[in-house]
Parts: sequence; structure tokens; C-alpha cells
Amino acid sequence: MEALLAFLGALARASTWRMAGRNALRNPRRTGIVVSAVAVGLGGILVTMAINFGMVFEMVQAAIQTELGDLQVHHKGYDDRPGLEVRIQQSPARAQDWLRGVPGVRAWAPRLRSQGLVFSPRASVGIDLVAVDPSREARVSVLPHSLVEGAWLDGEPRRLVVGERLARRLRVAVGEKVVVSAQDARGEMTGEAFRVVGIFRTSSRELDEGAVFLRMEDGQRLLGVGSSFSELVMVAQPHADLEEIRAALAARLGGDLEVETWKELRPVLVAMIEVFDRMGWIVYVAVFVAMAFGIANVLLMAVYERIREIGILTAIGMPPGRLVASIGVESLCVTMVGVAAGLAIGLGGVWLLRDGIDLSAFGAGLTAYGIPLRIRPVIRASDLWIPLLVSLVTALLASLWPALRAVGIRPAEAFRHG
Amino acid sequence: MGLEWRLAWRNIWRNSRRTALTLAATVFAVFLVVVFVAMAAGLHGKMIEDTVRVHSGHVQISGVGYLENRTLEQFLRLSPPVVQVLDSVPHLVAWAPRVVAFGLLSKESSTQGVALLGVDPKREPQVSTLSQRLVRGAFLPEGTQRGIVLGERLARNLGADPGDVLLLYSVAWTTEMAYELFTVTGVMRLPEPALDRKLAVLSLSDAQSFFVYGDRISEVAIRARNADDVPLLEKELARRLAASSPVPVEVHGWQEVMPELRQLIFLDDAGMYIMLAILVIVVAFGILNTLLMSVLERRRELGVLLALGLRPASLFRLVYLESLMLAAVGLAIGLALALPAVLLLQGHPIPLGGDVEAAARVFGMEPVVTFRLKPLNPLGSMATVFSVAALAAWLPARKASRARPVDALRGL
Repeated sequence: MEALLAFLGALARASTWRMAGRNALRNPRRTGIVVSAVAVGLGGILVTMAINFGMVFEMVQAAIQTELGDLQVHHKGYDDRPGLEVRIQQSPARAQDWLRGVPGVRAWAPRLRSQGLVFSPRASVGIDLVAVDPSREARVSVLPHSLVEGAWLDGEPRRLVVGERLARRLRVAVGEKVVVSAQDARGEMTGEAFRVVGIFRTSSRELDEGAVFLRMEDGQRLLGVGSSFSELVMVAQPHADLEEIRAALAARLGGDLEVETWKELRPVLVAMIEVFDRMGWIVYVAVFVAMAFGIANVLLMAVYERIREIGILTAIGMPPGRLVASIGVESLCVTMVGVAAGLAIGLGGVWLLRDGIDLSAFGAGLTAYGIPLRIRPVIRASDLWIPLLVSLVTALLASLWPALRAVGIRPAEAFRHG
Repeated sequence: MGLEWRLAWRNIWRNSRRTALTLAATVFAVFLVVVFVAMAAGLHGKMIEDTVRVHSGHVQISGVGYLENRTLEQFLRLSPPVVQVLDSVPHLVAWAPRVVAFGLLSKESSTQGVALLGVDPKREPQVSTLSQRLVRGAFLPEGTQRGIVLGERLARNLGADPGDVLLLYSVAWTTEMAYELFTVTGVMRLPEPALDRKLAVLSLSDAQSFFVYGDRISEVAIRARNADDVPLLEKELARRLAASSPVPVEVHGWQEVMPELRQLIFLDDAGMYIMLAILVIVVAFGILNTLLMSVLERRRELGVLLALGLRPASLFRLVYLESLMLAAVGLAIGLALALPAVLLLQGHPIPLGGDVEAAARVFGMEPVVTFRLKPLNPLGSMATVFSVAALAAWLPARKASRARPVDALRGL
């Protein structure tokens, strides 16, 4: 207890830090090597983690920006059985009323979804049918801005925008006609000819080879659903609280409709982020354990070198707590300088890579998993505080053995040693 | 020479605490490298086997251009010479013919787009695990006419159960509309969500008559003993089929059928090796520091040795030997710990739960961490850690060989 008090007291004293700092600099080469080990290790891990998380982040962003939006409204039961049967039995224009007075929503767009077949004179493919309001869709999704050929839908009827892979499979070009066939709300098969006006490319293979976009009015007529629709997609203002929007909107909707955030719509995206978080801990701990051996080794050396000096200090009555504190602080100083340098290297590396890393060399197949072809590293707050916390603990633990060894030095032994 | 070895060995143990710490760092590095590489090998091997066995097969034979287009237009026929090649080629465990197509399935007013797989009910279970994944009903029992098996999520979205009658609607090979009623015989749970939502399996003969496809098929899925046999099997099949098939066909290994899987594995490997490299570098710095300290400590002693006539080259060798011995002992202990651990884990895969499980399924994996020790793993890990240690020892050894007797004696 007494020793602990002495330890804490010593930590608060400026002289402890001054002494530890000077001790650390007594052998600059040795300290330099430890500092660079910590710096290189931490810097490298930081950049690697930032790239990894950048990948996850882009996956999530891509899903939000092309399909999910930040929030969606559905008729209850749609999540369990997505299909034409479960629809919002009101006109899309009603959304204006729902959203009146709901803060933080930047844009919204209605969609009508079903499934069907599309066939060209050469092939037929099963597809997701998405009927949209062209100008509103352009405000909630990047898809209308991701065209590689032709143009996005406009007011003209019977036009279709398809993905690049789908166009290739159907072997159709912009300007050619295809037939879209589907079952309507009464269970009858219906079909209509559409002209392909645009071809898009996104980072989602599912969209690129399995979705067609058409005008809301065309979709409603083809599927015979009157003016009803499937979902309302909303994009929030930057930094808006999604839960707040959800609560405000839920209060204004009837009991048969429900609002969900992207986290509920695609829980797997949340799971992926958590897996990466956990992986971060494992990696940081593994690297710092590797560093701990080096740090402990250096401190142990330092203690050996100073056996005589420590013996004198003990002989003139230095409390063991202060001795432990001075070695612990020395370890902290060395480690923290390394951590600071490592953070600088890591952040510098991320800054250098800010334009992103082009993965297209690895091939376009990655889009099947929703992995985008350009990755920008992303540093999160946890990339800063986890290494700080882990290094703090590492530094103190690594100093434990050398410190105890130092306390064990008896003056008599020390003088003999000299 | 013998003297140097003895001297080096004794020097290592002069400061046993320092040596213990350095050893621990090396052991830790070797252990992590071996375990992580084994985990990646197990994970990727399982990923390949899982994905391949669910559906695609290790190798596929198909008509020319099928892989890019995947429509009914690219087909092949099981002509006698083709069957003969399939039955006689070595390393082939089983094969199954299939028709692959699209359709709309509807029950009352709900419709779902489906990926249709027409399979030979007898041959298919030898190649894929589809029939083992039933949760309700049966897998196309013998004698059933127009039976269909659905993915679980697909069945739920349609509100269909075994015994229900569904309408299948699609475009036949003749480009005419095709309608037919099918009875659900079973529901299967598929690990990959996209497949679970989309896949419907029917018998090959039903598929051929529904699509007016005659005796044509889309692909032959082939099972090898394991993924390692694939390149050999692929080459042999291509060679024999080119010689005997009446029409040209294409042979593709899983890497070509699922390029995305190959790329994902590559990306994952790259990330892991970077992490391990950083780890090894950190450990190398530790080793470098320890050796440097031990050389500096012994300045006086080394100076005396030089004064007594030992040549700098011998001194270099002495210090270098010390570090190599240290690394070798560390490697031996590391491997002695890691190999039994990995072998144990190889027999006892670790199940995953919660969030990780869901994330694993997106990538088409069963949520278990498996380990697989390939012979290259311990060898490669050993070689890497040893050469990094050898590299780290160079600076201290050079420092030792450049000690000057005068400085050394004056210094203390």
C-alpha cells in the first residue's frame, strides 16, 4: 500500500519525468531503435487497417448510395416477403405530407419493385424490376449518375435503363428494344416492349446483371397496381441523426407502415463493420505484444547498466515505489515517442494514399462481393485510441519485470558489481 | 570452427534474462505466423470447397462462350465420346449434367425471379451438396413428374411449402413462351444468401422438356478429390475432349467459373501477409537492439580478443553465430508450440457466432474457422523469420568486427 502511494506520488512529480526522460536519452542509439520499432510497426498497421476499413466503408457507402438510402418506408411485412403483394397503398405524392416537419431529410424517392423476365431477340434473363421517379431517384442514388452509355430516364414512356452486364448478356445496345414480362398484381402475365436508353455500371454485380430501371408510371401500368408503390427511399442531411428522423417520421405514418434505417435493412453491413473492429483489436494487441518484448529488453539492459547507481539511490533511501515509477515512466516516454512517430507515419501514409488505391488490376470480379474497385483508406477515431490505450498498457507491463528487478537490487550487491 | 560455436553458445547464456526475452519475441513471431498462415489456408480451402460443393463443382465443361453469356444458346450434348472421357479421366470423382436457366415462379399473386437448375437426381448428389441441404420435404424423389426444390428464403418469399403447386414461366429455347405447373417437393437451406433467395432445382428431363431443349445441356459439373487436383484434371480433360469431342467444348476450373472467389482470396492473403510482415519487422528490431547492446557491453572483451590476435572476420562470425543460434532456438521452440496447436485446431474447427456468422455467410462461407497445415507453411515461416533475424544480426556483427583494441581499453 505504502509502495503504491509512493508510486502514485512519484508519477505526479515533474522530477520523475525529467529523470526518466534523461535516462531514456543516455543511450540514444538504443532508444532510437525501440522508438523506430514502435513507429514502423504502428505506422504500418495503421495504414493497413485504414485500407481495410476503407474497403468496408466503401462497401457500406456504395450500398447506401445506390440501393438502400439512409432510411426506407415499407408496408409492414415487406421485409419478410418482399414482392408485389405487399405495397404502400397510397400515392407516392403522399410522401410530401409524411415528411412535412420531419427534420434532416435531404431527398426522397418512391420505388415500385417486382421481378420479371427481360428478353431481347437473342436471349432472356430474369431481373429485378425497379420503377422510379427519374428526377427524384437522381437525388437519392448515384446510379442515375453512373451511366457508361446513353442517358438516364426522362419523361418519355417505355424506356429502360439496364446494367452493363445485363446488356452484355442480352446483347442489346442503346436504342434497341427489349420485352419486359412480369406477373401483375392480379396474377396475370403481362409484357411490354421497352427501348433501352441507358447502360449503367456500379460496384454491385447484383444490380449490374440483374436490375432494370423504368419510369414509375410505366411500372405501375405494367404491374397493374394503380398508384401504389413498394418503398420510399430517403437520404438524410450529412450528420443527421437517423434515429431522430425515424422517430419523427414513424409518428406521422399510419400504423400499417414502418420506417427502417439502412442498419436494419442490411444488418450484414453492420456485422461487417463490427468484424473489422474486432480484427483491429487483435492486430493491435499482437503487434504491441511483439513490441513489448523489445521494450522490456531495453529497460532490462538499462537497469543492468545502472545497477550501481540504483544501489546508491536505494542506499540513500529512495522508496521502491519511486524507483518503479521512474522505470515505468521511462518506458512510457520511450513508447509514447514511438507511438507519436508511428501515428505521424500512419497518418502521413493515409494522406499520401488519399486519392485511393486502384484495385481494378485484381479484376472486376470483386464487385460480386460488393467490393469497390477504388479504395480510399479511412482512419477512424478507434484507430487512434486503441493503439494509444494498448501501447500505454504495453509500456507499463513491459516495464514491470525490469522495475521489479531494479527494486530487488541490494546496495551491497550493487557496490560489488561496480 | 568448433571453438567459435562453443564460444557463441556460451555467450548467448551469459545474460539469460535478455536471451529469454529475445527468444520469447522470436517464439511469439513464429507462433503467430504459423497459426495465421494455417488459418488462412484453412479458411480459404474451406471457402473454395464450400462454394464449389454447394453448386458449381470443381471443374465445369460447357459449350463455347457459355461462361460469358450463360444463356440457353450456348449448349453441349453428352455424346458417347464425351461420356467416355468423363468416365475414364483420372482424378475425377463424379460428374453431373445440368441445364441452367432463368424463370419466374409464382404462387397466386406473388412472383419471384429464380435461377433454375435442371439436375440428374441420381448423379447430382455425388457432385454437389444441394440434396443434403434439405430442411423440409424430399429432393426430387424418383417417379415424380415436374417436382421442384426451392431455397428456403425463396420458399418463404413465395409463401410456398412442399406439396404446393407453382406456376413456372419462362422463355423456351425456341424463343416461345413456356408455362408449366410444378409441385414443390422440398425446401433446402443454402449457406449463401443470394443463392437461398434465387435457386430452384428441378429434374434434368423436366428442364429439357420445359425449355424444349431436346438432349442439350448447359454444363457438366465435375467433382475432383479436392481443389489441389483441379489444375491437373482441368488440363487432362481439355486434352482428351479436344481429341474426342465431335464439337468444341470449354473446360473451366473453379477459378474461372468464379473469378471473384479467386480475387477475394488473393486480396485477403495480401492483407494478411502485410500484417505478418509488419509483425516480423517489429520483432526484428527487437533482436537487432538486443544484439547491438550485447556487443556494446562487450566492447572491452572484444577489444581484448582483437588485441590477442583474433581476426575481425572471426569476430564477425562469432557474433553472427550467436544471433543465428538464438534465432534457431527461438524457431525450434516456436514451431514446437505452433505445430501441435495447429494440428489440434485442424481437428477441432472453431465455430463462430453472432455478427461474424452473418458476415461470413455473405462471402459464402460456413461460419467456422478451420485450420490447415500445408507443408510449405512451417518451412516458409521458418525461412522468413530466420532470414529476417540473419539480416538484423548483420549490423551488430559488423559493429563487433570493427571494434578497436585501443578504444576498447581506453573506454573502461
